[in-house]
Amino acid sequence: MKSSSASLSDVHRRLAWGWLAIVTLLVVLLATLLPRARLDSSVLSLLPASSLGNVPPQIENGFLQRLDRQMMWMVSPGNTPDTAAAQWWQSQLQQQPFLQDVQGPMDASSQQEWGKFYFENRNGLVDNQTRSRLQNGGEAQAQWVLSQLYSAFSGVSGKELAHDPLMLVRGSQLALQQTASQMRLQNGWLVARDKQGRYWYLLHGELTGSSFDMQQGRAAVEQLRALEQNLKQQFPQAQVMSRGTLFYSDYASQQAKHDVSTLGLATVIGVLLLVLLVFRSVRPLLLCATSVAIGALAGTAITLLCFGELHLMTLVMSMSIVGVSADYTLYYLTERMVHGAQNSPIASLRKVLPALLLALATTAIAYLIMIFAPFPGIRQLAVFAASGLIASCLTVVCWYPFAVRGLPVRPVPCSTLLKGWLNAWQNNKAVRFGIPLALLVISLVGIASLKVNDDIASFQALPQDLVREEQAITALTGQGMDQKWFVVYGDTAEQTLQRLEKLAPVLAGAQKSQLIDSYRLIPLASLEQQQADLQLLREAAPILQKRLAESGVTITAPNLQQMPVTPELWQKSVISSGWRLLWLSLPDGKSGALVPVSGVRDSAALATLAAKLPGVSWVDRKVMFNELFSHFRSLLAGLLVIAVAAIALSYVLRLGLKRGLLNVVPSLLSLGGGLAALAFSGHALNLFSLLALVLVLGIGINYTLFFSNPRGTPLTSLLAISVALLTTLFTLGMLVFSQTQAIASFGIVLSCGIFCAFLTAPLALPPSTQGEGAR
Amino acid sequence: MNKILLMALLFISYTASAITLDDVQRSFASQPIVRAKFQQERQISGMAQPLHSSGEVLIAKSKGLWWQQQHPFPMTLVLDDSHMVQVMGSQAPQIITADSNPQMFQFNHLLRALFQADRKVLDENFSHVFTDQGNGKWQLVLTPTTTPLDKLFSTITLQGDKVLNRIELNDLQGDFTEISFSNHRLDPRKLTHEEQQRFAF
Repeated sequence: MKSSSASLSDVHRRLAWGWLAIVTLLVVLLATLLPRARLDSSVLSLLPASSLGNVPPQIENGFLQRLDRQMMWMVSPGNTPDTAAAQWWQSQLQQQPFLQDVQGPMDASSQQEWGKFYFENRNGLVDNQTRSRLQNGGEAQAQWVLSQLYSAFSGVSGKELAHDPLMLVRGSQLALQQTASQMRLQNGWLVARDKQGRYWYLLHGELTGSSFDMQQGRAAVEQLRALEQNLKQQFPQAQVMSRGTLFYSDYASQQAKHDVSTLGLATVIGVLLLVLLVFRSVRPLLLCATSVAIGALAGTAITLLCFGELHLMTLVMSMSIVGVSADYTLYYLTERMVHGAQNSPIASLRKVLPALLLALATTAIAYLIMIFAPFPGIRQLAVFAASGLIASCLTVVCWYPFAVRGLPVRPVPCSTLLKGWLNAWQNNKAVRFGIPLALLVISLVGIASLKVNDDIASFQALPQDLVREEQAITALTGQGMDQKWFVVYGDTAEQTLQRLEKLAPVLAGAQKSQLIDSYRLIPLASLEQQQADLQLLREAAPILQKRLAESGVTITAPNLQQMPVTPELWQKSVISSGWRLLWLSLPDGKSGALVPVSGVRDSAALATLAAKLPGVSWVDRKVMFNELFSHFRSLLAGLLVIAVAAIALSYVLRLGLKRGLLNVVPSLLSLGGGLAALAFSGHALNLFSLLALVLVLGIGINYTLFFSNPRGTPLTSLLAISVALLTTLFTLGMLVFSQTQAIASFGIVLSCGIFCAFLTAPLALPPSTQGEGAR
Repeated sequence: MNKILLMALLFISYTASAITLDDVQRSFASQPIVRAKFQQERQISGMAQPLHSSGEVLIAKSKGLWWQQQHPFPMTLVLDDSHMVQVMGSQAPQIITADSNPQMFQFNHLLRALFQADRKVLDENFSHVFTDQGNGKWQLVLTPTTTPLDKLFSTITLQGDKVLNRIELNDLQGDFTEISFSNHRLDPRKLTHEEQQRFAF
């Protein structure tokens, strides 16, 4: 017996060294991965990678990255127009290393360049209105030219008529003015005026670098806030409004950071106190911390290895989940504390090992089910939690038999209370049937009043001041940030432009039938269209010349040469400023264009319109996300039902029909209790609450398994479970206080569900131990 | 002593009778509706002959400006608080609304300000020299101070008495436009049914 125990101890020693080697490897891995890792904090990136339908992914990424980098400011000097404040703001922005391409007014030289480009390429830049006049022959265009000539306020000069007798430049500029937003040009600035009479000057710029990490983002936002203070000191009447994804992601990461630091701190202190109280020794504390730390280390390393990045929300949730891994240590340590005098550490381990491994396996599987959810953030969470829990459990199994030598042995604290509780479950019918029945009623009432909400907006409590500025800017510029576009794409730039031209009349129709309020189409025609325009010009010119001559106006023969404007030429020219964001060309020629749409009344109808056109895709990210959320909520609900059924089956096979079904009751009641708590706290059911239910199921199984372990002692199990429950409530329960809706509802379901699991777990006690429990 | 008194009296009576821009504005403001014929001569540099046109104009304080060119070809322009409509020959009317294009409406407000001698708008956009020309006649020379007006016109000159008689526009490019108004009718002081229809879009 002794020799076999010694050889077992040898085997175990090797195991311990082996695990040390693996942990060292993990440390090295983390050290190499971490510097290159990206911490992501936008809620959107928790979502499926592909969200723009069937748009080529490079085009989609190109657009999304570009949009995320856009920054916009509106500076107001007050109720009288004055560019000084805006100019000061621009010069300050231009000095910021994190910004590039900061633009304010169009200066005189670019205005000239603008006119020059339009003049030199006028035959390739024919606008819609001119085109429709030309389509009626030269007559309509002649009438229009005459009306311009006769109008005292049009400002047509002899020079203009001599150089551009068809007045194509004038036509395209008037057309542009009409598509222009609600802003007007003043001294080169785009200026809007609000209802209170304040003038607002528009500036815009881009963040440098494609991946903007949290650290940089924080610094940038702080610097911008400081500049704002500065501006107000120099110009007391001035105000600034800003817009950019940067502000939202910074806000989100600040909140998450707040959650991690304050809630995390409270958690750690709570757990420390609890463990100290139960074990009256510092070592168990260090052991708990070690297993949790190794779990976190392994989780971070493996997640980074698999995904190359870590989402902040994943980190918050996963850390708390790994916190649950303290349960393993606690279970083993309680066993040692109570039975340390009779058993060797290895023998104690053998006693708890089956329950420990079974618990680990079921929990890990419960998390790994989430890998099937096509949300990158949730997949990360699954991998993080599963690998973290395994590492944490292995730490307990491999190392702790050596680490617990000489740990003080004490009787079970509060043993009368705990025994009373066990006793009541086994002998008191009011408890044995009353508690589950009461929970059942509460669950049913709660579930009956549960509301479902898949609106992504409700998961993110956006800061009111950001939202207000956003709305104000939208009202002033007429350009919203609601991310509703048509994406048009093609294998070549020409194909994309031709597809845009097929979309244009559809858009005009949608506007006419009031499906939408407005849209923005880049003012660039395909070469095919430009060729057709040139043909129209050539046909119309002689008629126009003749008609003007009849009215006594002689003009020189117009230049009817081809003046092709390619997307490359257009993008390089000053005339595309303000439009470049909407066009993207990849090195392989694939091109895409965005057509932002505002005032959408029927998103589904627009999707139908897009479906009829090749290379056109309707993107309404909010609707799309809501649908996805609802889809995966249903999917997860289905998976949960399957998981419960599978667990029930395994219980029935292992324990027989009656006990098997009895053992499922705690799991079912914990799920019901969690849902009821969600309903009573006024939250609605969403994807995140279902994720919490998956965890409730996993952790609840731990409790049931610790109790049903035939080798375990019920009293020790109850103590372990009680300590485990309290630590879990300290860790995950803290999430209830999170500022982020999604995390808060996650926390509510989790803590209430687990509490219900704890309450009803004694139902799983094997009948043979009845006498022992009553002892 | 008497001499001084006499001079002072003379001076007072002189200033009292001199017309000011405010007088003109007040006088214009008392005319809710002005109907007139216009004759326009537009001289564009590089063109041998000036362009002549003529037609009817209606300025209603409550509604806006209706400008109908009848010769040499029909063209109608209507400016009200929220619309800017141009109808040319048989083509569909081009309508621009204030919401869709405030830039053009800036111009619209200016035009109406010119016809109504709206002091506030004029002050915002021009420096001006006002001269009393005797016999109740006056002249107002406006020099634009804001873009894009200062890119178009060097000066705009208004002449009139109780009503506006002439507008001269001097373009920066050396072009010149003269509009003269005749046959002013201030009555009836309300728009007729037919006149109201001109503003319905």
